[in-house]
Amino acid sequence: MAYAYLFKYIIIGDTGVGKSCLLLQFTDKRFQPVHDLTIGVEFGARMITIDGKQIKLQIWDTAGQEAFRSITRSYYRGAAGALLVYDITRRDTFNHLTTWLEDARQHSNSNMVIMLIGNKSDLESRREVKKEEGEAFAREHGLVFMETSAKTAANVEEAFINTAKEIYEKIQEGVFDINNEANGIKIGPQHSAAGGAGGAGGAGAGGAAGGGCC
Amino acid sequence: MFRSRSWFGGAWGRPKNPHSLERLKYLHNILCKNTTVSESNRGTLVESLRCIAEILIWGDQNDSSVFDFFLEKNMLSYFLKIMRQKCGGSSYVCVQLLQTLNILFENIRNETSLYYLLSNNHVNSIIVHKFDFSDEEVMAYYISFLKTLSLKLNNHTIHFFYNEHTKDFPLYTEAIKFFNHSESMVRIAVRTLTLNVYRVQDASMLRFIRDRTAAPYFSNLVWFIGKHILELDACVRNDADHQSQQKLDDLVAEHLDHLHYINDILCLNIPDLNDVLTEHLLHKLLVPLYIYSLTSESTRRLQTSSPYNRDHIQSIEAIAKNLEAILKGKNSDHSPTRMTFPRQRMDIDDESKPSVSCVVALFLLSQVFLIITHGPIVHALAWIILQSDSSVFEDGATKILEMYISNAKSNVKLEFSKPQLSLEKALESSSGHERDYTTPEYGDPKRFGYDDKDTDQSSCDLDPELVSTSLPSTSHISESSSIANDSTEDLVTQIHSIKSDVTVKANMPDSPLPDSGIDSCSSKTTSEFNNITDEEKQKLLGVTSTVVLERAVPIEKILERENREIAKRPFLKTILDSLDCNENDYKALFALCLLFALINNKGVNTELLDTLLCPETEDQMLDSSKSSSSQTEVRSERNDQNTPTPSHSNQKMQSFNAFLIAKLMAIANLSCKPASKVRLVTLELSVTLVRIAMQGASGVAGARHITSAEALRSRAAALARNFYKCDDIFLDMFEDEYCEMSKRPLNVEWLCMDAAILLPPTRTPMSGIAFAKRLPSGEIERARRAIRTFFLIRDLYLKLTGKQETQLPLTNLAPFVQVGEVLDLNDSDLISCDIIQKDGTWQHRFLAVDNIQIILVEPDKQRLGWGVAKLVGSLQDLEIQGDKEDPRCLHLTIHKPRVGASGALPRTILLRAKFKFDDHIRSMAAKQRLTKGRTKSRQKKMQQIGRLLEVSGISAPAMAPRHNRPLFSRPGLTAIRRSTGTDGDETDRRLRRPSAHMLKDGIVVYRERTTSRERLVNELINLSVSRSSSAHGSRDGSPRSRSEEIPLEDIRRNVASTSATPVVAVTQSQPSTSMPLPKMAASSSEETSFISSESRPKRKGLIETI
Repeated sequence: MAYAYLFKYIIIGDTGVGKSCLLLQFTDKRFQPVHDLTIGVEFGARMITIDGKQIKLQIWDTAGQEAFRSITRSYYRGAAGALLVYDITRRDTFNHLTTWLEDARQHSNSNMVIMLIGNKSDLESRREVKKEEGEAFAREHGLVFMETSAKTAANVEEAFINTAKEIYEKIQEGVFDINNEANGIKIGPQHSAAGGAGGAGGAGAGGAAGGGCC
Repeated sequence: MFRSRSWFGGAWGRPKNPHSLERLKYLHNILCKNTTVSESNRGTLVESLRCIAEILIWGDQNDSSVFDFFLEKNMLSYFLKIMRQKCGGSSYVCVQLLQTLNILFENIRNETSLYYLLSNNHVNSIIVHKFDFSDEEVMAYYISFLKTLSLKLNNHTIHFFYNEHTKDFPLYTEAIKFFNHSESMVRIAVRTLTLNVYRVQDASMLRFIRDRTAAPYFSNLVWFIGKHILELDACVRNDADHQSQQKLDDLVAEHLDHLHYINDILCLNIPDLNDVLTEHLLHKLLVPLYIYSLTSESTRRLQTSSPYNRDHIQSIEAIAKNLEAILKGKNSDHSPTRMTFPRQRMDIDDESKPSVSCVVALFLLSQVFLIITHGPIVHALAWIILQSDSSVFEDGATKILEMYISNAKSNVKLEFSKPQLSLEKALESSSGHERDYTTPEYGDPKRFGYDDKDTDQSSCDLDPELVSTSLPSTSHISESSSIANDSTEDLVTQIHSIKSDVTVKANMPDSPLPDSGIDSCSSKTTSEFNNITDEEKQKLLGVTSTVVLERAVPIEKILERENREIAKRPFLKTILDSLDCNENDYKALFALCLLFALINNKGVNTELLDTLLCPETEDQMLDSSKSSSSQTEVRSERNDQNTPTPSHSNQKMQSFNAFLIAKLMAIANLSCKPASKVRLVTLELSVTLVRIAMQGASGVAGARHITSAEALRSRAAALARNFYKCDDIFLDMFEDEYCEMSKRPLNVEWLCMDAAILLPPTRTPMSGIAFAKRLPSGEIERARRAIRTFFLIRDLYLKLTGKQETQLPLTNLAPFVQVGEVLDLNDSDLISCDIIQKDGTWQHRFLAVDNIQIILVEPDKQRLGWGVAKLVGSLQDLEIQGDKEDPRCLHLTIHKPRVGASGALPRTILLRAKFKFDDHIRSMAAKQRLTKGRTKSRQKKMQQIGRLLEVSGISAPAMAPRHNRPLFSRPGLTAIRRSTGTDGDETDRRLRRPSAHMLKDGIVVYRERTTSRERLVNELINLSVSRSSSAHGSRDGSPRSRSEEIPLEDIRRNVASTSATPVVAVTQSQPSTSMPLPKMAASSSEETSFISSESRPKRKGLIETI
């Protein structure tokens, strides 16, 4: 599928905060678990539109790989955006944010956009972390904040798209070196042909499968 | 992306409940009807596949009959059928298929369900299916699928993937083919998968991995890493202007990724696997590329005796070409000098032997030692660096490895070369027949000839760069059989290896050194030694000048001997020679990093490190004198030492401790010069190492070292003294630098992640390089550098002597009042004011000022005359501004007192507001008081700094002369204290802050008086008005003008001082009722002392600010 840019995301946070469900909810909306079924997935891609441009988001969940240092550090580095997720019904997941953030800041490129997500906002009755606390944390560390629910799909769309918007803005400002794929940004095939920007090879995905997207 | 559902009408007669067996049956029906994928039905298929995943997960958790049906109908086979169709649009379907499988395997909780899914080998068929990997989306979903499966591996499930009988493990072998894919996320997924596989403790599977895949995979991996390094090196060489820092960043990070990956494998502790990996790493990369690059050009030139080291004089262009050729993987076209036909290339193969610049080699080796802790690797490397000579290029590290690995055979040839077979080929052929993993190359030699033709094809086999740039559409896993064109090199290598096999027999070849002569090398060293010692000896002697003379002689001897020994160790020599900072510290920084990493690596044998860290013992020195007299002895001793047995404890290894210390001290001494080219980070690292080296194993530095450290410290103080000025900025800089330093101690691991240091040192801050990692630009930065240098060296001195830091940081938090504390303010000078904030909020407070702090209080409701501190700020950082419109108002910005590490934060503003006083007189009084307080608290600190830097005229607080006794003492305590007089105060003060200060310079005192008299007039007027006291006016021009120094808040505490003054006369009327403010009283003595010693700053005109 033709796209102007491809942004690579990672999702980080403690286990059980609903990372993979968020991912699936975003990439494949069909799995709205109206019926008590939690389904997640570790990878997904989806096309969105920002500013009239087709942008493909590729999201990689890093779950289960924490045991290996080499893996986490590589993931961080290859991403343009990160969703840092905690569970509003579990304070410990919120308390661990600092560690996650330190890790992310240390290993990622400095331009990586990080969005803080308080997930499971549908479980209001079991809430342990106030929304204000999330907001304060985000403010303190310069993150964008949002409470989402993978179950009701509330704000899920926004979380991913707002992150993309911020990355897109950074590209417009020239902060990101878009010719450097190590940043987690790739220029789409047609874009690179027009702009003459190299480095975006191998993207011969072909438009054959264009249907059904967005 | 799969969101369109509109086509999915209700007219299909599907069951209402989406989660039911019926629904699955219905979907099965759809699959049956649509066995051929076409434009028209692919949407239906995709939707069905999605539903199937959902139902299966639901079934897994709720209804086992769902799974039974799925298996009964063999629905996975439908998946396969769909995949195998090559018709248009199938990638769309394939992607959904893969995602469905991902969802399935990821969400299944029931073990039995999982076994069912895996049982009929369909999954393996899916794994080996050749998808269209040129489609990045298919690639991504495919690799995620493999990764998801790998996360499900355990002792039971492994048997579904690894077939013991057919020796087949498609999950692993298919995945590793993508280890060098151009897409980083794919590479990461492959690495994850391999690690997940290795950690399954299944002996048979691990044997398969080792025997069939380890050699090909690791050799290709190592080659891949090596190619990155060549690229990195080219990037460094061609970028003097810091143009490609980004690219460099990535290359460095990539190298780190590789090392971490290797370390993660090694940490899994699978002995067999580690042995293969260790061998490949050492013999295919670390020794032939990293270590080899440490040999200096001259050494390489001289090593004609070795088959590997013939004639390495190469111009930069030749090297660049060489690199280019290697990187492109085709060496047939250009450069006629580099013939590419195997038979001819034999003669000139040396030229193709790649190497990187010494800087890069040192940097990369540091990273290796910082990350990898696997004993055999790091120990062997350390041994080679510290003990070995160039013979290592012939012998390899096998001997050293023997200590760790029982069956270490040097079957992996020592050569950085492209693996003969692409990984895929190697894996294919390995499944054909049994093979010993130690077989040097896994290709069939007969095939060299005819494979030469398809060079281009082969070159893209292993070249992700090429694939991504020039051949975007071709799948880089080329199916064509090929042997890398570089195989020609390997042929040569093989021939060499035969040669070297012969030489290996000798324990250590006698002639690894140029001309095999000790004579030549020792003559060379003596001349070099002279070069070095010319200044270093002097420095060393200068530093140790106070040491008894007879000790200096042995040091010289030690140095001389060590130098001679070093000449025999080319790698160590390169490292230690790199420490020379006379021109710049470009190389030195990396050499330091390497030494640091080496010393701190847990895997390196401590005995080996003692050669750097422990000084020679007495009997060694005797030995040395003997051996130096006879060259033959030296030689035999060396041979002994070369026997790499750490268990060999009776044989002491040659120590290089003294030489290392001399080198490091030279760096420290150099950085104490005003125009030094030593960066702060280099200094910090050498200071750290000096400490380790001086303290040795015992942890205590010898007297000689302490003396030299002391001398160094005074040099550093002298350097900083040049910048000791009395403008405000110096104090702020001083404190900031201290905070910065204590907040961010050097982290070598982080330092070695920074690609910026790989480029030649620069001066300009516009490069974006952190201050410590570049040279200072401009006067201010030079001052900062000098201050920081002083801190670092002072710290070294204190640590070596075991003294506690007592004078830094300058600010002591103790005297500060805490917010909320209740203070006795009876008879204190309080100025009532209204604080109006920007947002219009309004508060009424009383302003109290002592000598270091400004306190806003609110009356205590419980006790009359007491107040609660609501805000405490430091006077030092106070910003005061008058209001242009309203003379009753002042604008104040109050900062938090900066103490310790928290001070490194940008100064925290506590309050920025308008202060409105009762009338303009009170406003002026407040302004006066605050301004003066601010000045004084700063002056006091300048005094402290002056003492630290040994500025003349500022002496230690040893004995306070009587005439400088404070003018005022505290009222409450006077009764008790009067008898002891000043001494009481003095003790008190010294207890709290050992660095209290006194002025003993009479001239300075005098000057201070004259200046203070000048500002008397203004001040007195204000004071007298504000205090409605009548006695003040009379003092104008009084010879006792010093009394004007009555410090603000403390006025109220005064009683008659030893000498009666007019002021005292005034204030005396008050103290009868006054009780000391407990907190503030404590600081009065400090205040008095700084009154008398504010001489120096004042001379430079600080008064103007008042």
